[in-house]
Amino acid sequence: MKKFKLWLLILLAAGLLGGTYVWFFVYNKPHRNIETASPDYILSAESFYTHYSNKSTPEGENYDGAVLQISGIPTSIETVDSLRIVVFAFTEGVFGDEGIRCTLLPSHHQYLKSIVPGRPVTLKGLCSGYNGTDVILEQCSIINE
Amino acid sequence: MKKLILLFIILTTASQLTMAQRYLTKNGHIKFYSDGPLEKIEAHNNQVNAALDTKTGGFVFKVLMKSFVFEKALMQEHFNENYVESDKFPNATFAGKVTNLQDINFDKPGSYEATVVGKLTIHGVTKDISTQGSFDVKEDHVQGKSVFMIKLADYDISIPGAVTGKIAEEIEITVDTKLESLK
Repeated sequence: MKKFKLWLLILLAAGLLGGTYVWFFVYNKPHRNIETASPDYILSAESFYTHYSNKSTPEGENYDGAVLQISGIPTSIETVDSLRIVVFAFTEGVFGDEGIRCTLLPSHHQYLKSIVPGRPVTLKGLCSGYNGTDVILEQCSIINE
Repeated sequence: MKKLILLFIILTTASQLTMAQRYLTKNGHIKFYSDGPLEKIEAHNNQVNAALDTKTGGFVFKVLMKSFVFEKALMQEHFNENYVESDKFPNATFAGKVTNLQDINFDKPGSYEATVVGKLTIHGVTKDISTQGSFDVKEDHVQGKSVFMIKLADYDISIPGAVTGKIAEEIEITVDTKLESLK
């Protein structure tokens, strides 16, 4: 009987531990921290945009959902409500300037003054893909602040 | 073939937009909300391209599915990988028209009710939709808003049995775009 109780306790403890693990590390696992993540790809803003707009991504590389570190010369900085967007424009289309749009992490808004259109900058962010006009990078952080 | 037809519609609408008064945004907001029996889920996307032609009533928007942000990372993963298959179908699009253009004065600030009909493409499936919305005409921009429901089954989005109680069969979509005049 004692042995049975012991096994029951072990099973309950294992179940509790398993459930706790699933609750915290599977069901409620945190979002990937893009700011501290190592970049999957490092490249110039221009070649990054050209790969997307020409559908000429090098074989074996997939930028969608990847963390990218890009360097280039920003053309403008937009403020849309609470968003701060660094724009690298390369062409003009129906929707105006087209290029790369990097939405900064709120914690990096304070460094925005270090970004001046026309001066090189390096940013890191999560690539959401190409929407037909722009490549979208989100949760961007300024590397050379 | 469907994609080609849709692309044609978008391109012809877009080329018409260049000829008339255009209002645009690249940072429109779309929210989706699922009120399931066991769980409420919502996701937000602030990277919506939208364009309105006030002369013809043409209205288009395009949204990257991977830009939807969920509270829980696991839900976001399931949404992209299992439900909308965003690697295969990266964008959702709407191309339609405001049908009661005569009731809206885009030159006079105010709030106007609008009826919009068009084609919504999600998960590679295109369906006709008709919805009510509003345009708040301001001095320097037009705020377009609409709330409508879609059935996941209509867009071939199947929900596995294991999570049936957590996701509603009908999803509420809220579109909120601050459209600015293209100078």
